Amino acid sequence: MIQKLLERGGDLVERADVCVIGSGGGGAVAAAELASAGLSVVLLEQGHHWTARDFSQREDEMMPRLFEEAGMRQTEDGAVTILQGRNVGGSTVHNLCYAFRTPTPILRLWREEHGLPELTEEALAPSFARVEQELRVKPIREDELNSLNRLLRSGAERLGYSGFVTRHNREGCVKAGYCILGCSYGAKQSMLVTYVPRADRAGARIYANARAERIEAEAGRVRRVLGRVVDHAGQAQGSIEVQARVVVLCAGAVASPDLLARSGLGGEAVGRHLHLHPSVMAAGFWKEPIHAYRGIPQSYYIDEFIDLERDARSGYVLMPISGFPVLTAANLPGFGRRHFALMRDFDKMGGLLVLLHDRSEGSVASGDSLSRPRIRYALSREDGRLLARGLRHSAEVLFAAGAQRVVVPYLSEPWVLTSRADLAGIEDREIRAGSVPIASTHPQSTCRMGRSAADSVVNAFGECHDTAGLFVADMSVFPTSLGAPPQITTAALADRTAHHILERWPDLAA
Amino acid sequence: MPARHGRDAAFRLVAAGATRRGFLRLVGQGTALAALGQLRGLSPAVAAAAADAPERCFDAAETEILTQLVERLVDTGEPDAPRVRNTRTIATIDALCAQLDPSVTAQLSIALRLFEYGPFVFELRFSRFTRMDDAEKDASLEGWQASRLALRRHAFLALRNLAMLGYYSQPETWSLIGYAGPLIGRSATT
Repeated sequence: MIQKLLERGGDLVERADVCVIGSGGGGAVAAAELASAGLSVVLLEQGHHWTARDFSQREDEMMPRLFEEAGMRQTEDGAVTILQGRNVGGSTVHNLCYAFRTPTPILRLWREEHGLPELTEEALAPSFARVEQELRVKPIREDELNSLNRLLRSGAERLGYSGFVTRHNREGCVKAGYCILGCSYGAKQSMLVTYVPRADRAGARIYANARAERIEAEAGRVRRVLGRVVDHAGQAQGSIEVQARVVVLCAGAVASPDLLARSGLGGEAVGRHLHLHPSVMAAGFWKEPIHAYRGIPQSYYIDEFIDLERDARSGYVLMPISGFPVLTAANLPGFGRRHFALMRDFDKMGGLLVLLHDRSEGSVASGDSLSRPRIRYALSREDGRLLARGLRHSAEVLFAAGAQRVVVPYLSEPWVLTSRADLAGIEDREIRAGSVPIASTHPQSTCRMGRSAADSVVNAFGECHDTAGLFVADMSVFPTSLGAPPQITTAALADRTAHHILERWPDLAA
Repeated sequence: MPARHGRDAAFRLVAAGATRRGFLRLVGQGTALAALGQLRGLSPAVAAAAADAPERCFDAAETEILTQLVERLVDTGEPDAPRVRNTRTIATIDALCAQLDPSVTAQLSIALRLFEYGPFVFELRFSRFTRMDDAEKDASLEGWQASRLALRRHAFLALRNLAMLGYYSQPETWSLIGYAGPLIGRSATT
């Protein structure tokens, strides 16, 4: 049973073999694997436990329930909005279910340039297999593509661009389209309906509204986790203490380094090397309603502009994107009547998102408030140029797919293109921080894996260089930008870390 | 753009040339910006609304400033469009803000005061936002949106996005844009 500490009240004192912090794509996997093997596990999740019954398909209700800072988390300069989950199940509850394995060239890069020879496809294969089975990963069927994805595929094919229909983790999908607001039908195979219940059945003690605030170590070994019971605004209500031989930190690439830094653990590299997979959108408007917000939001994937075999550190992909009224309004530029001139065609609108495999880096440091770490990110000029090129290609695909107008949402002055002849101008205007809305749903690499404590935080199995028994198992361990949707990589690396802990348990428990 | 530059220089003076974090620290320490926020000689419309507005995150005066800001930010020009004051737009924004970290809501309160006194601070006009006509309000908002100072642009975007959330989450607005609404209790169609 998952306990909501806000409703239960009082303080929490626990003792366990393992304390897992965070119940998202890494933490739920680690907790389930460790509990299933017979270890006593306590799982702490700072967010609330919402279930399908709570998912109202209303943006005003779901944004504060499912997202950090109600969806308004930003980099310190306000240039990038970062969407991260804050609930049992983490970001897997609101993600759009792309299911990719780690690209082969990325694993090679991690082996050869980051001193991680252990990360072979063969070594990871059992973890991928277990995760994909648990999440019921399967190809999206042809008849499951919605109107927008079909249109964009036709546009890409007309231009000769490489693309494909992806795999996903849905079972019994009713094609409502509200994936980003949580699946009201229990069809999305998020951690909320897969690994978290499995951990629960295996005896893990799972606590919602439980924020870890400090990890303590003695003589180089992890000892306990201290925290607070918190409400939805992050205000403290009670205290938490969990004594554990092993701690697995899975709070995400923003909260994990913040917690390590507040605890004085992890070394000098904690919080550095932040990658965001920054994304920008071009919006197309068709002559007739296309109702892009209905059906599976993302099933087609254009990979024409990323070639990881040639360059494992750069490139971008194009992904269909649609939204509901609030998200759409927020992403369209301007205000008042000019803004409404775009919004009135909401049902004729569909977008193409440029997701950048970024070289640019940033950092995470502790802020004045525990709920608001300081996130810095500097978009390099070269990455800005790539985003602009991506917008041009997006507009090109949108026109080829039949869009009559394409809007590039420059914040100062939206640019409405009415023909392909206008396309060249997009690249002449660079993308800089603050010039267009930039979003990130994939912060990563702030506790990265590596050989040396000088430029990494954890080893190839996720254990901190400076603290025995303290592991990290979330997107923060990626040595570089992943260059692909991260859900399966995160889960597989967490599975691998959990099995490594089990193999070493006699040593770790001593 | 010397005029705009001059206005931004005024803001810079108010914000003590600070970084965003320094700006927030100033707010927390109750110095220049807080003093600005305490200029409570409210316009008649603000004062009239102060009596019966429900207070959760914002006080009544801030709620009136917010309401007038939102009215311009989501103006559709359509005669049949739901009016902000006839919907739960502001209550929705207030409820959302009440779930944010107090440090954020403190900033939003200060930002509202800055919007109210923005014409005086940035445009050197002896007026307040809530006393302006619609065209003047739009011009003032354009100034925030196009400011050379990132802090002003970010404050504008934050308020703008809250306005969009408040207004377009109201079911009364959905027919305007062809949104069929949630499917719970109905069958999905592709």
